[in-house]
Amino acid sequence: MSKEKTILIVDDVDINRIILGEVFDDEYNIIDTGSGAEAIEILAGDTDISAVLLDILMPEVNGLDVLRAMNKTGRIEKTPVFMITAADSEDMLMESYNLGAIDVIIKPFMAQFLRCRVDSVIELYEHRNKLEKIVEKQVARMNEMMRSLVETLAAVIEFRDCESGEHVRRVSLLSEALMREVSNVYEEYRMPEAEIEKIATSAILHDIGKISTPDQILNKPGRLTAEEFDIMKQHTTKGCDILQKIPDVMDAGVYRYGYDICRHHHERWDGRGYPDGLKGDDISIWAQVVSMVDVYDALTSERVYKKGFPKEKALSMIKNGDCGAFNPKLLDVFEDALEKYEKKHN
Amino acid sequence: MGMLDELKELGVDVDKALKLLNGKTALYEKLLVKFADMMKKADIRTDFDSSDCTAMMETTHMIKGSAGNLSITPLFKAYSDIMQLFREGKPEEAREGLIEILPVQETIIACIDKYSGA
Repeated sequence: MSKEKTILIVDDVDINRIILGEVFDDEYNIIDTGSGAEAIEILAGDTDISAVLLDILMPEVNGLDVLRAMNKTGRIEKTPVFMITAADSEDMLMESYNLGAIDVIIKPFMAQFLRCRVDSVIELYEHRNKLEKIVEKQVARMNEMMRSLVETLAAVIEFRDCESGEHVRRVSLLSEALMREVSNVYEEYRMPEAEIEKIATSAILHDIGKISTPDQILNKPGRLTAEEFDIMKQHTTKGCDILQKIPDVMDAGVYRYGYDICRHHHERWDGRGYPDGLKGDDISIWAQVVSMVDVYDALTSERVYKKGFPKEKALSMIKNGDCGAFNPKLLDVFEDALEKYEKKHN
Repeated sequence: MGMLDELKELGVDVDKALKLLNGKTALYEKLLVKFADMMKKADIRTDFDSSDCTAMMETTHMIKGSAGNLSITPLFKAYSDIMQLFREGKPEEAREGLIEILPVQETIIACIDKYSGA
């Protein structure tokens, strides 16, 4: 019968490794090492290990160090670790538990009991890991559906706005690239990857309020009058009104970012934007990001009333403040983000 | 009389160890030989001073674990007590424990050597 599961045994005394191997050898593949450092290497790799039997006291890299390394990589969440020890100090045993060890087995151990404990924990972990994978798949599917819905909403605006369907898509993708760059470069703007993805989806909604803007204003080829511009500006708050009516259609995070982006993607760093005249970092970083990307895309795109500017010209206009003031930190990383975006999507 | 019978008479719980090793007598004998080798290499001294205590504790810990797994009960019990004394900061009493167990230890190792031809 082929053995599907593998156990990693870590103990600096080979006698102990052999004895432990003997307890599990009939149904498990055994990988054993006398070195904590080697155990860390094995656990950092892709090897599918069902459980780790780990000695605490070992020279150089001890069992607690191995647990710490597993915490760093997140492996501790997926693989149960049993500390096999000759009754070390209570502090060490407590630290093992605090570092995520599932159980402590004191030497000399009873083979049958050890086997039962390890078998049942492996079964529980497998079940849990399986459930987590199912949930992950369902969440991914729900996110896909939500994104489709959000894109559908945005497409309605684009048909009315006489823009190519690509504007919203470009704003979403370039916002994602810029948000990631900002997050990587500036500690104060650091965000988890999952949140960056939500911001990218939310960016699609930035102009949804334009659905309420009259056609003659939305598609006017010439300059808007002051009165018309006042109506045009309302697309920010109207967008929020629309989202408020359909909060359950989307993930709570996307709703929150989307609402903020709709309202604040025309604010400016110096407080001269609209609708609230927010200034500096009172404007959320994601709204600042979408704002800059929206301006860049508007400058480089062809519209009924103008040709698209070349990239260099658009960048220089944004830097010179021709389209309002932006966060200097964003200006510093925008070109790098643009380069990465172009490399990935062009 | 074979190695295991003689070890039984010296207090080794051979049956318990064989149960742990799924009745594999040859494997048990092989591990006993490894244990004897390990003990010969281990730095077990009764003339240690306070600066040696950490190293002595590590050696004691190692012997305790292996002796326990191989059911060499007299050594397991003695080294468990010695370990406890070190932990409690009683190196003098630990030294007495070592002096007491060393002859027993030598007898057990000599028995293993006799049958393994070492």
